[in-house]
Amino acid sequence: MMETIWTHEDNTQLEAILDLLIPANIERGIPGAGEARVASYLSVVASRNAKFAGQVRTLLASVSGTIHDITPEKMHQLETTVPDAFRALLTETYKGYYSRPDMRAHVGVGIHPVHPNGYAVLPEDPALLDELTAPVRARGTVFRDPTAKETG
Amino acid sequence: MPNEPVDVLIVGAGASGAAIAWSLLDTRMRILCLEQGGHLHDKDFPSRREDYELARYGEFSCDPNVRGLPQDYPINVDDSCITPVNWNGVGGSTINFLGHWPRMKPSDFRTKSLDGVGADWPISYHDLAPFYDMNDANTGISGLAHNPAYPDYTPPLPPIPMGILGQTLAKGFNAKGWHWWPSDVAILSRDHNGRQKCVNAGTCDLGCAAGAKGGTNFTYWPILENAGVELRTNARVREILVDPDSGFATGVLYHGPDGQVHEQRAELVILACNGVGTPRLLLNSTSALFPDGLANRSGQVGRNLMFHPLTGVAGVFDEPMRGHEGPMACSILSQEFYESDPSRGFVRGYGLHSGRSTTPMTYALGGYGIDNPIPWGAQHRDIMDNVYPYLAGLTVVSEDLPEEHNRVTLDPNLTDSDGIPAPKISYRLGDNTRAMLKHGEERAREVLLAAGAKRILQKGDDKVWWRAGWHQMGTCRMGDDPETSVVNGWGRSHDVKNLFIVDGSIFATSGAVNPTSTIQALALFIGDRIKTNIANLFD
Repeated sequence: MMETIWTHEDNTQLEAILDLLIPANIERGIPGAGEARVASYLSVVASRNAKFAGQVRTLLASVSGTIHDITPEKMHQLETTVPDAFRALLTETYKGYYSRPDMRAHVGVGIHPVHPNGYAVLPEDPALLDELTAPVRARGTVFRDPTAKETG
Repeated sequence: MPNEPVDVLIVGAGASGAAIAWSLLDTRMRILCLEQGGHLHDKDFPSRREDYELARYGEFSCDPNVRGLPQDYPINVDDSCITPVNWNGVGGSTINFLGHWPRMKPSDFRTKSLDGVGADWPISYHDLAPFYDMNDANTGISGLAHNPAYPDYTPPLPPIPMGILGQTLAKGFNAKGWHWWPSDVAILSRDHNGRQKCVNAGTCDLGCAAGAKGGTNFTYWPILENAGVELRTNARVREILVDPDSGFATGVLYHGPDGQVHEQRAELVILACNGVGTPRLLLNSTSALFPDGLANRSGQVGRNLMFHPLTGVAGVFDEPMRGHEGPMACSILSQEFYESDPSRGFVRGYGLHSGRSTTPMTYALGGYGIDNPIPWGAQHRDIMDNVYPYLAGLTVVSEDLPEEHNRVTLDPNLTDSDGIPAPKISYRLGDNTRAMLKHGEERAREVLLAAGAKRILQKGDDKVWWRAGWHQMGTCRMGDDPETSVVNGWGRSHDVKNLFIVDGSIFATSGAVNPTSTIQALALFIGDRIKTNIANLFD
């Protein structure tokens, strides 16, 4: 496990919060953000951004107690009482979670860097394009040309 | 030698600076381009990294206020509902633009005569048509010929794939009996001129590592540098110099990579710094002759700022739409509501653009150009698992009318890292634009339902996308009357006879299409006029 700037207890609490922000989909085997170790990503961000580190500390201080005290209701309360800190944590959590290729894959997006291989998308068959555009062509032109006569 | 006088000095190595340099190559004049940023190297493209989406919120953000790179200048946007976005470097904003390439239409050049709003351009669509064609060939444009929304022309390459998303929406438009057409794009559908065709990466805003997107870093600049055009990078121009007796521009002062201020003299100065950078530079170039800024005797420098305000509507379909696969902004374009129709309650019109979907992080954070994260908790899981993969959307791209109060000025306090005053944007939406966007949202909803959407996702407020200031136009507009315009019909300053402007700032009106195709066609047109008039260029 990656070292973080937070204590073990802080980390446990933070992971509980993260699992509420992005919960798991157990049926489909998709982990929540806590289980996916997004806390490690947040630790890197916090080590470079003192304001964010302070905001996380504010949130952790606000949920002091056991992880059983970390409930959706408590999160909704924090969203109202410390909105800037909550928004900052939410934003970084989304960034940390979806920057992981395996999480991307769970929502149908490729695990690979998109260059050099990208995605295979076949061009439409010319016959299909003809068929699709036929009604548009049949309607005729749909523009005004006030200067056509000026230029012949 | 670095500071010997040159014949032609171009400020800015983006879309228009590259195009006019190419046009002037055959004059054999000595051409120098000063660019405040540098070259991008292959290792710099985020799309080669596994966590490529993170770059969109850091060093590759489209917003210079977020990027904050050394070559960027800050922009005060406290008084605007849209923030300008750009790229500063070789290629300019063609590095991170999305490659959508529609032309303006004949009526766009005559809005005053036809609809009583805006201003007529001193040139017509037909003046530009040969230069659109020329630029399409140079850039490698893909599209389908015989679009009934335009005078006839044929893009040089076949269209890029529409994909299931584009095909689905096309059927919706057909069901409504409305115009649509595969998008013209500056993205290669086939290998072309030594460049590789598109691999459908879907991250056009992060630069195109393949070189399939027609950024001028891949199209014009390799040719220009081989031909001897000097490109001096990390050179930020602070002021244009003027001879107090003749009133002619004599050159510029610029900050070099050595941290020193240099003087560069030139016979001809061409500005290509976009609709924010160009008025900024002119307003910062004051003298006894031009106390209110260079070339600003009309008082129009910085005024009439136009963007293309955007909003969007999405539908949720039964099948995955695979919207992350393929060029991100380009699939199909409807121009059914482009021309004026008085019965709609507004003048002029808009396009319905079928962009593809964004990647998961960007969708979770609110969408491209929007800072409004989707809900957390169980709702988040449901949206990402059961909505995101099934989305197809339409973007309403509205024409913006020129209004004098929408403008670029110099911020009295904010500066860039060289101490040059930063631009300040004052911009608010007009009532006509609001009516147009509302109309567009309703039509988008209708066509998504006709295409088979089971649910419609609509914002429900009247806010426009925040990071939507890609298209910066009108701030040094062209016209025949020196009292009401900054440059004439071929880009020459009314006030300074050897000063030309070739970027989007010279647009008299905005149309409702992405402007890069027109910006480059205009630059080629102006280059042609310079060559035609070379014997009496400064008369």
